[in-house]
Amino acid sequence: MSILTKTNDLGFFEIRLESIGGLGANLAGKMLAESGVLGLGLNGANFSSYGSEKKGSPVKSFVRFCEPDVEIHDHSPIEEPHVIGVFHEALHKTVNVLSGLKPDGIVLVNSTRDFEEIRRDLKFPYGTLAVVDAMGIAIDEHTKVNTSMLGALFRICDFLDPDSMREVIKHTFQKKYPHLVEPNLRTFDRGYHEVRFQTIPAPEGVQGMRFERPQPLLGYATQAPGGIIRAQGNSLLKDLSGSRQGFVPELDADSCIHCANCDTVCPDLCFVWESGEDKKGRAQMYLSGIDYQYCKGCLKCVEICPTGALSMRREEPGYADSHRVAHVFQ
Amino acid sequence: MSITEEKMTKMTLAEQTTAFESGNEAAAMAAAQINYHVMGYFPITPSTEIAQILDQKKAQGLHDIQLIAADGEHGSAGICYGAALAGARVVNATSANGFMYMIEQLPVQSGTRFPMVLNLVTRAISGPLDIRGDHSDLYFALNTGWLILTASTPQAAYDMNIMALKWSEHPEVRLPVIVAYDGFFTSHQKRKLSYFKDAKSVQAFVGETPPVGFDDVADPSRPISVGAHMNGDDLLNNHYQLHLAQERAAEVYQQIAAEYKAISGRDYPVLELYQMEDAEVALFLLNSAAETAKAIVDKLRAQGMKAGLIRPNVIRPFPAEEIRTALRGVKALLVGERADSYGGKGGNMTHEIRSALKLDPANETIVLSRVFGLGGKDFYPDEAEAFFNLAIEAMNQGEAAVPFDYFGQVPGDPVHELRPILTPQHGDAFNSGLIQVTPDEATGKLKVKLPPLRNLTAKPKRLAPGHGACPGCSAISSLELFYKGIEGDVVTLFQTGCSYVVTAGYPYTSHKQTFIHNLFQNGAATVAGAVEAFWERKRRGEIEVSDNVTFIMVTGDGGMDIGMGPAIGSALRNHKMIILEYDNEGYMNTGSQLSYSTPLGHQTSTSGVGKAQKGKAFHHKDTPQIMAATNIPYVFTGAEAFPQDLITKAAKARWYAQNEGLVYGKVLSTCPLNWRSEDQLGTKILQTAVESCFFPLYEIEHGVTNITYNPEAKNKRISPQEWLKLMGKTKHMLQDQELLDAFEEEVNRRWERLKLKHESPLL
Repeated sequence: MSILTKTNDLGFFEIRLESIGGLGANLAGKMLAESGVLGLGLNGANFSSYGSEKKGSPVKSFVRFCEPDVEIHDHSPIEEPHVIGVFHEALHKTVNVLSGLKPDGIVLVNSTRDFEEIRRDLKFPYGTLAVVDAMGIAIDEHTKVNTSMLGALFRICDFLDPDSMREVIKHTFQKKYPHLVEPNLRTFDRGYHEVRFQTIPAPEGVQGMRFERPQPLLGYATQAPGGIIRAQGNSLLKDLSGSRQGFVPELDADSCIHCANCDTVCPDLCFVWESGEDKKGRAQMYLSGIDYQYCKGCLKCVEICPTGALSMRREEPGYADSHRVAHVFQ
Repeated sequence: MSITEEKMTKMTLAEQTTAFESGNEAAAMAAAQINYHVMGYFPITPSTEIAQILDQKKAQGLHDIQLIAADGEHGSAGICYGAALAGARVVNATSANGFMYMIEQLPVQSGTRFPMVLNLVTRAISGPLDIRGDHSDLYFALNTGWLILTASTPQAAYDMNIMALKWSEHPEVRLPVIVAYDGFFTSHQKRKLSYFKDAKSVQAFVGETPPVGFDDVADPSRPISVGAHMNGDDLLNNHYQLHLAQERAAEVYQQIAAEYKAISGRDYPVLELYQMEDAEVALFLLNSAAETAKAIVDKLRAQGMKAGLIRPNVIRPFPAEEIRTALRGVKALLVGERADSYGGKGGNMTHEIRSALKLDPANETIVLSRVFGLGGKDFYPDEAEAFFNLAIEAMNQGEAAVPFDYFGQVPGDPVHELRPILTPQHGDAFNSGLIQVTPDEATGKLKVKLPPLRNLTAKPKRLAPGHGACPGCSAISSLELFYKGIEGDVVTLFQTGCSYVVTAGYPYTSHKQTFIHNLFQNGAATVAGAVEAFWERKRRGEIEVSDNVTFIMVTGDGGMDIGMGPAIGSALRNHKMIILEYDNEGYMNTGSQLSYSTPLGHQTSTSGVGKAQKGKAFHHKDTPQIMAATNIPYVFTGAEAFPQDLITKAAKARWYAQNEGLVYGKVLSTCPLNWRSEDQLGTKILQTAVESCFFPLYEIEHGVTNITYNPEAKNKRISPQEWLKLMGKTKHMLQDQELLDAFEEEVNRRWERLKLKHESPLL
């Protein structure tokens, strides 16, 4: 009898993980897939979206499972998954994370917020929503988000064997980092047990989330020949706030001496200056704030600040938007 | 054939083990089990993992392959050729432009008949640059004289790597072999696969040592000459031999594939014919796309349509006879190709299939051709169905309405056309007037006056925010800091590397002024051409622009490896330009492989740490001293942790580049991801690198060395361990006194020499 509770027309149970580079979604996808293939003898495939993107950029990891006798020919990305794992809550601002979700699919979100707020942000009124504070668990245990997310994913994919994953964790850390075995096991177990579920049955006739195959912004009739770009500096249209992993610099204007050390070390050109006059009426530059649209939360500025005017804070939702000082571009 | 059959009956299936791995892991596993003598490689996505995995296995003592990190693919092909000449078993892996860069060597190897195996992990060739998979690189391989296997799955990548060596070394073949599989689709997709449990099974199949009786250069008692030049009379005969070897290779392949099937149970016929027995419409596809299309064949079959699919496992020699046979009853065939032969009205496979069919007078197959899936554009089952629909339409109409076209192109909506969003700033906008550079006639050196950093914030930045660098990347902040010292306009060229990739991902650019990308062996030459053309066109009065333009070539330390030749050439010609290197001690853009600037002992993905290996085996390259030896007017080093020092040097660099000639500068730059350091500590790490004298701040002005920050004189010198302990990549060094001593000794030696140079203008 099949252990896969549901499959699509081709016989696949499919999982898509939505994350940003650096959170370990890739590794989580690999471990999920290995656990099904090597642990349970299923057939499977695992791959990721690839590009030149760096840490902090959106990434996807895909897992396909099927019965051992089913052959996997398809190499293409998973469009209509049964399970979607969202590793980073802010992603929904830039990525259609729920695209193609099956009507009976499950969405797992790493969040501290309640079901209603998440449903509103994700535009996910019906279906099963699973929520786990994966980041909080990881911070408590000094471990990684992907381990707590894996715990929750194992709970959702109930055909997988969490004990086999526990063995993998032991095996991974035991030899080189024995002190990390217990915290990682706890992280996995907490993800497994602390994930909360809420199912709102869809009214009759409601479809799943339609999949949108992304189209390029430009086509052969609208690209300048040779790939030339004449819109210099247009990367400023991008929003990079989704690259942060929980922390932002906070500026205390009163203790700032406008030394510009922060401006010197900031890789993301976030510091906003304006000209003014000093006490003697001479022209002088003043730091007016931080443009959080571009801040990736590296905190180099906090480290270099000589007066403590810049400090680190855990980013709660809404903080950056309400404290942003926007660059003015001409 | 009777001998083969007899031999085969003696063979039994060798024990297998199940793994869940990717195409690159599979290829590396095959190489490790074969235990090649030599791999000369150079990193390029998506093939690089093979060298990385082999390095990991080497660090664990799992094989003895000599892994040689070349200075570029041309060099890697040279290392491989040299090793093959010496009778070694040789493997390599590359992709796209790496393949293009080595291609000069490939006909040399096939024409002189020395075997080896090259994994071509297929990827789009530039430009524009695209790191994902198509077959434009593979199509350039068709005329190299190499045999070519096409592997459509990770399992095939493993199996073909084993068959390839035996095929290559076969006494009647003696040709190098390419194993081509799809970048990312196959190279990075993990699948369930079977390996030989014992490497001895693999070695028994290929032979424990290379076959004897062939010329090599390893034995001085049997001297030979390799590579004498020929005239046409002789060259034609040489190439005829090569042609005969290709012909013979077709028969030998059948034999090797049969033997391999006997020990593995896995069969790789020249053509995989999927539901072709009675097919009336069919697709011809290479590699992974063919796998994807199989589901549609099944679907159409279920609907009663006689659909089939042809996927070759061998394309050199081209299986023309097998294709003629397979297509005998097919009414319409669509050849889908992941590369075009521009202007040829069809890609290479289309032409070879049509040409094969022309020799069968009875054949009436309509052949359609579509170019699809370029640059890694995904290929979905519904698109395979669209291909079948085109073939069905042609079958029904008895002709192809459009014999050749692209598939998947979109015109785009004029609404989204790119429009400038900033008013271009140039000239006075970047002339802050805050920085004064004046030549001192007495000393022959430049004097620079700088305002406090705070004042310079009034100057607009050269880069726009919104670039995609990793959090905490010092490359971007160091560049922007350098630009603060440059007054007036700049034209920049970034060689391939992180800073390029994150600031210019179509359709976005973070560059506010003019920006060029060129591949990272050739940036210096490209800027040399641009700067000379700029001045010549200005001299002719064709362009009316100010003199105040600085041409800057930005490169990583990797670019100064592969691009060292053109950089030195440009320096010797003394063009009016700056070469600015941000040194993050490795090929960080491709996943942290070692560069020659990686210091001794530092861990990278190709200088792993394990019981058999302790990080990088040799000291870091002293690039400033190499460049200084070209006698250019100005050389400097800098670091973001010492901003005034770096801005001062930038101001001098601009003056020299506008008035005298070429400037080279190296800026050390933290890579938190691959140095495995805390994001926020980036600047501090650079400070300790300088204060430990690992990275001294100095300049060489007209040949005279000047240390611009001497930590000893300021009583701030610290031990290199203070630097090393801040990075994950060097933690292991702190426990290894011998390694630490060797590292410190070299740091000291270079520092002491530098001090002598500082003291004596003649040195």
